[in-house]
Amino acid sequence: MIATIVDWDAILQVIWVSLLAGVGVTAAYGFALLGTTRALESGRAGNTGGAVAYGVVGVIGMAIVIGAIVFGILILTGD
Amino acid sequence: MGSEIIVVIVVATALIFDFTNGFHDTANVVATSISTRAMPPRVAVGYASVLNFVGAFISLEVAATVAKDVVSVNSNTIGLLAVFAGLIGAIAWNLITWYFGLPSSSSHALIGGMVGAVFVAEGHENVFFQEGILGKVMIPALVAPVLAFVVGGLAIVFLYRITGRLRPGSATGGFRFGQVISGGLLALAHGTNDAQKTMGVITLALVANGTIAENNFHVPDWVVVSSATAIALGTYVGGWRIIKTMGSRIHKMDSAQGFAAQGSGATVILAASHVGFPLSTTHTISGAVIGSGAAKRLSAVRWGVAGNIVVAWILTLPAAAIIGGITFLVTRAFGTGALGPVVVSTAIVIGAVVLFARRSREGVAPGVVPATGSPPS
Repeated sequence: MIATIVDWDAILQVIWVSLLAGVGVTAAYGFALLGTTRALESGRAGNTGGAVAYGVVGVIGMAIVIGAIVFGILILTGD
Repeated sequence: MGSEIIVVIVVATALIFDFTNGFHDTANVVATSISTRAMPPRVAVGYASVLNFVGAFISLEVAATVAKDVVSVNSNTIGLLAVFAGLIGAIAWNLITWYFGLPSSSSHALIGGMVGAVFVAEGHENVFFQEGILGKVMIPALVAPVLAFVVGGLAIVFLYRITGRLRPGSATGGFRFGQVISGGLLALAHGTNDAQKTMGVITLALVANGTIAENNFHVPDWVVVSSATAIALGTYVGGWRIIKTMGSRIHKMDSAQGFAAQGSGATVILAASHVGFPLSTTHTISGAVIGSGAAKRLSAVRWGVAGNIVVAWILTLPAAAIIGGITFLVTRAFGTGALGPVVVSTAIVIGAVVLFARRSREGVAPGVVPATGSPPS
């Protein structure tokens, strides 16, 4: 009975979106934080190459976070 | 004329409920930011209230579910009285759980109150137990906290793996900044899901009054604006006693866990709002908070407190339903005019004032919210 009265498509959508966005965006922020911190440390140590490389990691991580938030809000307001 | 007065009372009651919803649920939105010192209490509450307001405008899917899929009311005075009684049932349960410091669910209180009142007023055929209550409320109510628990747990595991070798000072500062983002998203999510429930109930009252035709469902703009304002004000005024329970008694939290819990909770609530599930924000953020703690160390979570919260959750739907049903009978005893709602509203206001006075004497204020560690005795 439950199989017919529950909108499983909607529930599965909530599950996969939550897993992808919740874990993915959090991890992306982790990389943003790692990249930014290491880039600053490398810069202070005179390691320009390392600073650039870590800086790229930080920027990409933050871009994913901001992009995911903007995309999510656009999807919601598009109801 | 009599029904117009009742509509005004129902709208006012719904907005008061919305205010108590914000008041009651402040803890869900800001406790993690406060407990990790990401934001001072007053700043966190003000920030959350602004984003609650904004969030109320981004979707109407949940409002449609509440107004059409859980219960239906006939276009007459009995239908209006049922909506009124359901709201009173929810407000009464919110006040009781607030008084005892239990983080119950305002959303389930509202749905329980409406179901109980409509069941008594209109009969079981007007309550959609299967597709509505089971399919769109109960099952999501079970899935959401478990999902938030899993997402929160996975998120913190990844975060620790990625940032585990950073110096504690840098990591903590970074995650506190992250909590400004994740806390804002959580407030936005809370505003969009919870304010819409009030919008749905007011729309249901307008249908019962014949103001809106059943086959022309829409949420008027003034309903959206007033609901957004009420929940934002309620959030600002805040529920400091419940903040104490959520912020420190579930487990001691670091800023990474706070960030993971808020981000996970916000994601689940926003995803559920998109498909129209009237989710409990309390259930969801609690699941995420416990998940982020359990993933680090099972013994860090005070499972006894978590168990008490689960008991309060289980009680919410039936308790609010019983209060809603009884409230309808009491209101109906005064006839079908405005006298019943006036008497019952006055009684609930007096009850609320008494509870607030008793609680105020016990001296719970923003300044005593603990940052971390054990709650104050």
